[in-house]
Amino acid sequence: MPVELAPKGREIRSVWVLVFLLFVHLLLISVQVRSPSGAILLKQWALTLGTPLLNLSVAVGTAAEGAWTRYVWLRGAREENLRLRESVRALSLREAEYRELKQQNLRLRSLLEFAESLPLKGRSAQVTGRAPGYLAGTLLIDRGSTSGLRPDLPVVTAEGVVGRTVLVSPIGSQVQLITNTDAAVGVLVQRTGIPGVARGMGSRTMEVSYISNTEQVDVGDLIVTSGLDGIYPRGLPVGRVTESKKGNLVYRHIVAEPAADLMRLSEVLVLLENRWPEAGQQ
Amino acid sequence: MKYLVLAASSLLVVVVQMIAGRIVFLFNFLDLSLLLIAYWALYRNRMEALFAGSITGILLDAFLGWPLGYHGFGKTLAAFALGRASKHFTLTGRAIRFFAVGAASLLSSASVFLLLLALQRSTEALFLGAALVQALFTALVAVALLAGVDAYASARAGGVAE
Repeated sequence: MPVELAPKGREIRSVWVLVFLLFVHLLLISVQVRSPSGAILLKQWALTLGTPLLNLSVAVGTAAEGAWTRYVWLRGAREENLRLRESVRALSLREAEYRELKQQNLRLRSLLEFAESLPLKGRSAQVTGRAPGYLAGTLLIDRGSTSGLRPDLPVVTAEGVVGRTVLVSPIGSQVQLITNTDAAVGVLVQRTGIPGVARGMGSRTMEVSYISNTEQVDVGDLIVTSGLDGIYPRGLPVGRVTESKKGNLVYRHIVAEPAADLMRLSEVLVLLENRWPEAGQQ
Repeated sequence: MKYLVLAASSLLVVVVQMIAGRIVFLFNFLDLSLLLIAYWALYRNRMEALFAGSITGILLDAFLGWPLGYHGFGKTLAAFALGRASKHFTLTGRAIRFFAVGAASLLSSASVFLLLLALQRSTEALFLGAALVQALFTALVAVALLAGVDAYASARAGGVAE
């Protein structure tokens, strides 16, 4: 015996049947009837109904594809960016290295020319370190006793005197700069030949002592080694006068600036002798 | 079986409609298929009435040479409306029967007319006028026929009781 549907259920079912039948009729019509443009209505309706869905799916697809492509592209771009940055960094380093090598080459050539111009034996050395502190006044070089170095040898550059070796190990040495407060160099004012002593001030300058108030020393005068201290051969540039005035007592107050740029030293020349050879020995 | 009867009766109604309409002009204003649908909706089963409307409508289209579906759509709607009316109202009085059948006929014709309009088919205002006349005439005949059915049913019920 068939189960009787509840009235409400029958109502709903009849509505669904109605909808189904109406749909079938519309479908039938659409299959047969053509639109004014000659197209079969079913196709036209399908197109009309389907187009928004297709457009939507295409839009979603395009967006998804675009997002995916952009994501992949961005990932690729990011990786490429990283690679390029790495490459740029490497090239920058290489360029800096190249520039440094070029500069070093120039400095070394200059130092070599200077060394060749000197009638003294010398050893070029690389500055490997500087004592901590801006004005510590010492630096380290990569030459030691195995290279023939010993304490109290003059250290110079093409521009002028740097200092002297104070501590020597087999493979390295410590150099006391002429600006060190403990350093003293026998000097002369090149223009007048007046002797004096240049003392380090613990700063970037030196004080030239023991020159009488009566002597004429001008700013810009070149100070050279006198050779009287037994360390530096005579005539090496030490610095230029930056300040010169009469002192309170007997001596003038003279301040000089080192001829060599002591803050930017990379290579130096260590003279293996403290005085010029005799005329007959040259 | 009952759907076979339904299909056969629908076919018979449409054939009669065609033949009668050719012989007697007035029959062109009588919607016999709607009478069948009304009978099914009011006396038989509302669900079956929906199928009766669909089948008669499709057959009508087939015989008229119209694209299948126009009359099927209209007659199905009419069957549904009549079924609903019979559920919510007591359609035993002549006046209400007249009104219900007439409204269903108008609904059927109007839906066909709207379909034609929607599908950009050529339509004439005459169609609506004819539909109105058809609705009145069909409703009138339906009231008479259904009264006959009622009388037959009550006579049969009386016979069975005796």
